[in-house]
Amino acid sequence: MSDETRRADDTGTVDETGTGLAGGDLLTRWRSVKERESFVILGTVVAVLLFPYLFARAPVVSEILQGYQSLAELMLIWGIFVIGFDLLHGYTGLLSFGHAAFWGGGAYAAGVFAIHVSGSPIAMILVGTTFAVLLAWVLGFLSLRRGGIYFAILTLAFAQMLFYVALQPLSNLTGGDNGLGIGGSTIEPLLGFIPLDAGVPVITMFVDTWMYMLIGIAMVVTVAFAYRVLNSPYGMVFRAIRENEQRAEFVGLNVWRYKLMSFVLSGAIAGLAGSLFAIQQARVPVESLFWTTSGEVVIMSVIGGVGSLFGGPIGAALYLYISNIVQGMSEVVLFTQIDKLFPGAQAVVLPEWASPAPYWHLILGLLFVLVVVFIPRGGIWGGLQSIGSRIGSRFGGDR
Amino acid sequence: MAVVTGPATGRGGGGGDYPSLGNFPIEGDAAVFGFNVPTTGPYSSEGEDELRAYELAAKHLNEGGGWVDSQFDDLSGDGVLDYQIDYVEGDTATDPSQATNSANQMVDRDGVIMFSGGSSSATAIAQQQVAQDSKVLYMCCLTHSNETTGVECRRYGFREMFNAYTTGQALAPVVAEEYGEDNSFYQLYADYSWGQTQQESMNQFLTEIAGWEQVDSVPTPLGTDDYSSFLSEAANSGADVLILNHYGLDGATSLQQAVDAGLKDSMTLLVPLYNRPMAEAAGDAISGVFGTAAWDSQIDNEASNQFTEVFQEEYDRIPSGPAQLAYAQTLQYAAAVERAGTFYPPEVIRQLEDYEYDNIGMGAETMRACDHQAIRDVPVVRGLPGEEQEQGSYFEIVNVTSRDDLWYGCDEGPAAECELGPYGDE
Amino acid sequence: MIPDAVALQTTGAIARLLINGLQAGAIYILLAVGLSIILGTLKFVNFAHGALYIIGAYLGLIIAQDPSFGGKLAEWGFGDIGLGFGYLAALVVVPLVVFVIGVLMERFVARPFYDRPDTDQILLTYGIALILTELFRVLFGGASRSIDQPPWARGSATGVPVLGDALTALGINAVSTWRIVIILLTAVLVGIVFVLIEYTDFGLTVRAGTVDAEMVELLGVKLSRPYLVVFGIGAALAGVAGLVGGPLVNFNPDYGATILVPAFLTVVVGGVGSIRGAVIAGLSFGLIQAGLVQFGFSEWAQVGIYAVAAVVLLVRPQGLLGQEVAA
Repeated sequence: MSDETRRADDTGTVDETGTGLAGGDLLTRWRSVKERESFVILGTVVAVLLFPYLFARAPVVSEILQGYQSLAELMLIWGIFVIGFDLLHGYTGLLSFGHAAFWGGGAYAAGVFAIHVSGSPIAMILVGTTFAVLLAWVLGFLSLRRGGIYFAILTLAFAQMLFYVALQPLSNLTGGDNGLGIGGSTIEPLLGFIPLDAGVPVITMFVDTWMYMLIGIAMVVTVAFAYRVLNSPYGMVFRAIRENEQRAEFVGLNVWRYKLMSFVLSGAIAGLAGSLFAIQQARVPVESLFWTTSGEVVIMSVIGGVGSLFGGPIGAALYLYISNIVQGMSEVVLFTQIDKLFPGAQAVVLPEWASPAPYWHLILGLLFVLVVVFIPRGGIWGGLQSIGSRIGSRFGGDR
Repeated sequence: MAVVTGPATGRGGGGGDYPSLGNFPIEGDAAVFGFNVPTTGPYSSEGEDELRAYELAAKHLNEGGGWVDSQFDDLSGDGVLDYQIDYVEGDTATDPSQATNSANQMVDRDGVIMFSGGSSSATAIAQQQVAQDSKVLYMCCLTHSNETTGVECRRYGFREMFNAYTTGQALAPVVAEEYGEDNSFYQLYADYSWGQTQQESMNQFLTEIAGWEQVDSVPTPLGTDDYSSFLSEAANSGADVLILNHYGLDGATSLQQAVDAGLKDSMTLLVPLYNRPMAEAAGDAISGVFGTAAWDSQIDNEASNQFTEVFQEEYDRIPSGPAQLAYAQTLQYAAAVERAGTFYPPEVIRQLEDYEYDNIGMGAETMRACDHQAIRDVPVVRGLPGEEQEQGSYFEIVNVTSRDDLWYGCDEGPAAECELGPYGDE
Repeated sequence: MIPDAVALQTTGAIARLLINGLQAGAIYILLAVGLSIILGTLKFVNFAHGALYIIGAYLGLIIAQDPSFGGKLAEWGFGDIGLGFGYLAALVVVPLVVFVIGVLMERFVARPFYDRPDTDQILLTYGIALILTELFRVLFGGASRSIDQPPWARGSATGVPVLGDALTALGINAVSTWRIVIILLTAVLVGIVFVLIEYTDFGLTVRAGTVDAEMVELLGVKLSRPYLVVFGIGAALAGVAGLVGGPLVNFNPDYGATILVPAFLTVVVGGVGSIRGAVIAGLSFGLIQAGLVQFGFSEWAQVGIYAVAAVVLLVRPQGLLGQEVAA
């Protein structure tokens, strides 16, 4: 869902006076937004339901992908994180290099709460997200004094400070370098009676466990929420700030306030993802506050596509796929399942030097740079869309 | 879900008598082990050596050879319980999150029945947690922190390596004999759980056993790479001995900087725990410096020599301490499975608990049931001068401190904080 | 205690604080000055600056010694590519080579991106840093390495004639000669750059370009060449930092990223584009760290510099000696 395609009607609504708009127009517009919204949410639900099946269990496809359930969970969690990050970077134009603070902060808050107060997953999510919101308010207040590269460096510095604080002065609370071990048994069943590792009735085949359901629901809620925000006047202002901050200021908008709002919303979603991470891993590694985590979310977001709701999760999935599965491909077998299609055909085993495993970092780095140079705004999602529309226009003529 | 697909069978302790738990019963003809070590990042040289040892262990389990033929009577050299041993490898990058992901992948996708590895305590503790939550056994490799078998101990994890506590116990008598009883010492320690417990134990045992006196003990923040301010305070303290409680590469840096600042001329230096990447990076700086090490090829007994021999035959290099741990812990698990007659994890755990053995070249040992810690001897070593070092050989063995002089009761020290958690069949 | 002894103890403590602070700050300063002049003049933010440090360190190791590397180089049979020309040779060659690398970076990386948003520059250079780190890891292996100190600067400075006596008289008994070399070398290099920028025609052009590039170009002065040189100088300083830091702190391919963050902080606190500011900020960080250690608050030494940086930036968003108004 790229916002590029909606640019035309955005500019109209930024003008909040709305003098030129007749009531009928507004109604039609609202209806079409509603329609698109239900379409987006429905699409997300279907994708979330089908994804773990295709990735981890479906015949042939999952064998070729070598996917597995817990990686599918992780991909969704990071996908939520990237959506949060992109709200700030892709839509408001502020590049933060310190989002590890909210991810790690949310995870620690959820984990500490689980150990000392209650292991209810819902409560952990609420506590983690709330903590991230408060943290984002403070850090946003401090960092938003500068824009552009200074903002990036300031967020980086503040997040690093939190990392060192968690590492040492607060190590009694955070477990310091060992990380915070929550333990699977500390985390209580969902709503008090549904164990997270129990299978979901009826749709077990698709989603497997309630753990995935919880994460999947969080993903759908995040997408719905982000979509709402981005299509509200708030979202319009965010984009206006990204396009031209000065002009937004001249129009009379309190730019600073909107930026802070965007920062807080972004931090909240990152905190939600961090809390889910703490629940899924039953552990919070201190590295979740380290600046490389901020770097990872930047890479995911850019690879997937900046300023598009679905680009983020795609970037997250691709990144995790390379860092977890390509990383272990010490032997590459092409056409593993070919004999099922063409009986008698042989799979091809590539020689050892062709193994991508030792180069997985390098592959990510190259992919990242290529996207930055050639498709800095669209990313892979944008690339797919433009290919799709090209094909569409060829076959369907003028749309 | 598993890589090897085939009809589930009940033989050799398959599903038959026991309910399914974790990745039990095994699907297919092969039992898959997971070897999860750092193959990228600063500890990759250690991880690669562990991996060699793991692969050697798997080979010996399937085809016989090494300790399988001579030291482990339980093992046949023709697989384990009629299952051939297969393995998958993963990269922890010495990063706990990456280690968790990689362990989850092994458990979830590859259906491993046991996994092993680790080159830092944070990664080992993270993996031990995965083991407990997914009910798949984890045999620790190199982890020296008290917590691994203390407050972070888990029913599904077992540790052969000794810990920070015993390093102090083992070093104190040796250095007291070498340097006399009338010394004062100054400590620098990495300010996280390992460093804190390490310096506590050095203080306790150097005071109690050696009769030395502590002048001060100062934390250095994690991530410090320039220790000059700390070292100049140490030099100024008037102490006779400086103890650098830094692990691995940080240890190499602080030791080297201490030597460069001329501290070796005015003070005696001690490094509690050596490992290979550290020795490689520190070079000549470790010359004459006392410390402990996981194991060393110079330890002279049948099992040790044999391991060095088969390892050298296979890879044309001298095995490191962690390699011996990796090899030993893989065979220990396999032997416990044979004794239990099943891969069913709770039964294997019960076979490992309180098991007494003397077959890995470290004397008589007990895998204690109360905290899953091997009660064993600790080798004390001294660094060789730069010109005498060669690939794989960095220290000389000074003493192997007997387990009778070491360790603590189940209700004392780190073990007092250990709660192992459930077997999974309760 | 007699007053003289107290006085000696106090001077000793102060002298130790200064030496420790200077040496801790020196590497930050070398990195920060390079970053700062590039950022100030070209308005280009270089997240790959840490990678230049790593290039300097590995290049120095290859030129000065006969190291044997792991990684793919060893697999391909080039594990022993050291030249063994000695440290002084490295000290001459490394800055030149890294200067050229810097010039190439300006021409082929920075220049095409001057018209893109600031954030794209960050992304691009961050990506380049990732790739360089990985290339080093693949080629040389991930193990940590260090450069041997040259024989003329080995061991403790208290053994050096004259200097050693002076240090002992001040109550300093543990400082390696190499640290003194670093302090002196940093002072000389930063001094040269300072003179170059502040007191030469070249510097005048550069400074004028910093204030208003458009106007300078309108006056018929081409800025593309000075920009090349500035980028080259900044890069060379980072390369030298790697070379002089190499014998002090072990490095591996990841180390470039580790030191980048404090270097950035030094630039921002000092004020972008200001050499004086970078020096002051670097020294303050060094002194703060050394002071926290010396007075027994060592667990806060790492947090300390971030906290101080945060406070400074709250009070003066443009940095201590920064010129421009908050953006």
